[in-house]
Amino acid sequence: MSLADRIYNGERAAIAKAITLVESKNQSDKLEGKKLISELMVKPGHSIRLGFSGPPGVGKSTFIESFGKYLVSKGLKLGVLAIDPSSQITGGSILGDKTRMIEISKSENTFIRSTPSKGSLGGVSSGTREAAIILDAAGYDYVFIETVGVGQSEILASNLVDIFTLIVGPGSGDELQGIKKGITEYADIFIVNKNDGDLKIEASKTQSDYKSAVSYYRNDDINSPLKDVLLVSSLEQTGMDEVIQAVEKIIAYNKEKNEFDKRRFNQLSFWLEEQVKALMQESLEKKLKEEIAVSDLTSQVVEGKIHMYEAIDQIMTKVEKKI
Amino acid sequence: MTDNNKSKFSIDQWQKSFEKETKIDSVDNFINSSDEGIDIKPIYTEQDLHNLEFIEKDSLPGQWPFTRGPKASMYTNRPWTIRQYAGFSTAEESNEFYRKNLESGQKGLSVAFDLPTHRGYDSDDELVMGDVGKAGVAIDTVEDMKILFNNIPLNEMSVSMTMNGAVLPILSSFIVSGEEQNVGKDQLSGTIQNDILKEFMVRNTYIYPPDPSMKIVADIIEYTSKEMPKFNSISISGYHMQEAGADNVLELAYTLADGIEYVRAAKSKGLDVDEFAPRLSFFFAIGTDFFMEIAKLRAARTLWAKIMRDFGAKKEKSLMLRTHCQTSGVSLTEKDPYNNIIRTSYEALSAVLGGTQSLHTNSFDEAIALPTDESARIARNTQLILQNETGVTKTVDPLAGSYFIESLTDQLSKKAWDIIQEVEELGGMTKAVKAGVPKLKIEESATKKQAKVDSGSRVVVGVNKFKNPNEPKVDVRVIDNEKVRDDQIKKLDQIKKSRNQKDVDHSLSELVTAAKEDKNLLEYSIDAIRNRATVGEVSKALESVFGRHFAKSLSVSGVYGKHFEGDQDFMNVSNKIDIFEKDFGRRPRVLVVKMGQDGHDRGAKIVATSFADLGFDVDMGPLFQSPKDVVKDAIENDVHAIGVSTLAAGHKTLVPELMKCLKESDPDNKIIIFVGGIIPEQDYQFLYDQNVSAIFGPGSNIIECAEQVIDLISKNSNKK
Repeated sequence: MSLADRIYNGERAAIAKAITLVESKNQSDKLEGKKLISELMVKPGHSIRLGFSGPPGVGKSTFIESFGKYLVSKGLKLGVLAIDPSSQITGGSILGDKTRMIEISKSENTFIRSTPSKGSLGGVSSGTREAAIILDAAGYDYVFIETVGVGQSEILASNLVDIFTLIVGPGSGDELQGIKKGITEYADIFIVNKNDGDLKIEASKTQSDYKSAVSYYRNDDINSPLKDVLLVSSLEQTGMDEVIQAVEKIIAYNKEKNEFDKRRFNQLSFWLEEQVKALMQESLEKKLKEEIAVSDLTSQVVEGKIHMYEAIDQIMTKVEKKI
Repeated sequence: MTDNNKSKFSIDQWQKSFEKETKIDSVDNFINSSDEGIDIKPIYTEQDLHNLEFIEKDSLPGQWPFTRGPKASMYTNRPWTIRQYAGFSTAEESNEFYRKNLESGQKGLSVAFDLPTHRGYDSDDELVMGDVGKAGVAIDTVEDMKILFNNIPLNEMSVSMTMNGAVLPILSSFIVSGEEQNVGKDQLSGTIQNDILKEFMVRNTYIYPPDPSMKIVADIIEYTSKEMPKFNSISISGYHMQEAGADNVLELAYTLADGIEYVRAAKSKGLDVDEFAPRLSFFFAIGTDFFMEIAKLRAARTLWAKIMRDFGAKKEKSLMLRTHCQTSGVSLTEKDPYNNIIRTSYEALSAVLGGTQSLHTNSFDEAIALPTDESARIARNTQLILQNETGVTKTVDPLAGSYFIESLTDQLSKKAWDIIQEVEELGGMTKAVKAGVPKLKIEESATKKQAKVDSGSRVVVGVNKFKNPNEPKVDVRVIDNEKVRDDQIKKLDQIKKSRNQKDVDHSLSELVTAAKEDKNLLEYSIDAIRNRATVGEVSKALESVFGRHFAKSLSVSGVYGKHFEGDQDFMNVSNKIDIFEKDFGRRPRVLVVKMGQDGHDRGAKIVATSFADLGFDVDMGPLFQSPKDVVKDAIENDVHAIGVSTLAAGHKTLVPELMKCLKESDPDNKIIIFVGGIIPEQDYQFLYDQNVSAIFGPGSNIIECAEQVIDLISKNSNKK
């Protein structure tokens, strides 16, 4: 049986191997991975992709454990792609995400894969998008993508999913003033976690802070379910009903407005462009290093032989010729 | 002695002579930094006794602040209690072992329970199949407890019980066993460990989350202070912290900080400090750093006296720290195991010079398996010889006045006091534990210690130096785990048939109500146990109210690698990993797991962090996984290898089960299995026959292990 067929059959080991292929830096793996993804895209599944992002320590994995448990208990199949932030600059990584997803990782109806974020853009690893396609083909109802929220990664992460969720902790509302608008712009749902015990008052205050901050971005349609701010406690498993209702409402709303497919189409063109940019940059950098002798010119600038702008002009002329 | 200010001795002259003898130009080159970060100088003088902050150099034993010992007479009147910790298999077998020991000179009993009992599972629970009767005795009902103390009169014998998680049903079983021997609870003497905070830090045999767990601790302190005047309600333990890799300052500070938290918990019940404080006891580990360990016990007494005075304690007994000690388990090596007898002897001497009230000496074979009758005898005799032949009992606190010891005691006190203040700033130990701070600090310390041994900067005889070319073979105790489990299940079935189910259900539902209404749970738990409810049933009833706690695992990184900058062996393995990554497009990926109820995760954590520093991608599995969970995790993450860490003798059941599940889930898998921990050599072949590729015992050099693993993975991947 081909790898694609085994994936359609939902074979766990096949799904895992396929994700390895699309994440691999090995050339022949990459080719094989591309072929596989083209095959799988012909017959897509029905999964809804949800992105979860937020600062470290806010309880993303714990929320996924809690919310995931809720979905699994309803008989739904759940795939989780966790981009583990616990990476080092040198050496390998410790992937400890699953120690926070103990119960859902035991379920037959889940597939949980951690990936070190090392060497990737922001919090999104190369291959995450493809991995989601594989889980979709394998018949998972929901695919969660967990990323660590730092700066630029929101844009990338939000372009991987149908709904992008930002998870924040109680008290984080105070920082809202200073936060760049990116986050509030890209997130479809806001979740204030840790709405339990001593933190309850702080959590609901944070909810109002976010509500007033995002009101600016709510579109003209007063019935729009987008950009709702929800309170949950992963610890006490409260607020999960509201989360799934918000998700379902947004999906229905977007489908009705034709936004659902349009968003996926836009994402495709986003990734196409990203991919092309990345490849161009890679090949250009190689050329700059090997053929255009940038370092020679740099030394000439340092030695005062030529002016910096002269060097730039020379390089650009060469680059344009090569293209 | 001279009366004039000028001493006839000259330190300058000493320094000159020292430098001449050593042919090195500065004495300072001979200052060594201890694990605790204390400078150990080549000489101490009277000068070092100036500016002491915590120690009063003319203090006396039996007097505030008790630096020199809680009693005036100490061992001159009565030596310390020889209290050997033991338990395994069924209650019948443990009872026989206890009675043999009592006949040969042991004074108190100390019961080791198996892991399912600790975690509140009955022996017939699916989750615990590999752990029944392994690292301690299996107790499912009060009937087992009665057998355990058969022909041991509980009104005469002091019994210490290492129990923290399932503390309610176990203490209840002990009380009901007494009742049924016609011994009232007011006559029962002994200690229950009941120290849950350190479980969240290091030992991991908790059941409920921190807050309800603290409530249970307070319930027990309250109950015993009213009903059981001869029973110690808690043994505040640093032992497991040192075993998990804490240095002596961390052990000392966190133990005392735990103590502070328990005092607060008891006070919150409305108890007066002097009502319960005399019955708080302590438990420390004694490792190989001879003088430091002595200083630790002296510092502990000094600081505790101060802490209790600040709590407003008035009774002398409330101010004095009394402690049990045990020689270090992690200092034991699998290599050249007879060396362990010698290590244990020095550690025992350290404990005695530090002034312990009771002592357990480890058997030399404990790095390999549970002690045999013979090795247990040698361990006990280590103490009998100290008491009867060496003369150490004849003088109270013989090292007092030593410039070195007094200075060390003061410095340790100071460093520990600073950490205690840090914990106070975090809001006390329960909060610190929830935030995971102490656990991380201990893991960091553990990783540093391991790196020192692996890099050879710390010598371990027979392991990284002076290796024995002819490793001796030693006999070990073998537990037939399946038979123990079958026996327990039979007993359980019989009891469940013969008991009055209505009474059981009623008392369990009363217990649940009590938990919801915040009543003292021990009373209700005693009723349930008397009606023959099982340990598992009582635990589950409470779990229905409190929930079960799952630990989040944090990891340190970079600590191990830092010790190896420029190290050839380290670079060699790193390079192999880089080559692998180039060839196969990703780093070698290893899943490190603990299976079953064994929560000792120091080894697993050290392997994870050092492997990551070397360049592996390491998946950390949660604690208490079943083989099936492990396989799912391994397959989904497409790992190259699984490293199984096992310290509680579950390997013979759990590893074959793992292999079976792996085969079922993915018949074509090429995953390499390696096993580390405490595994008797007799079992090696058994594991190799199960297709285990490598086995690493205690004291293995991690870089060598890592090299074997990357070689195995590369070889396997090249087969393609």
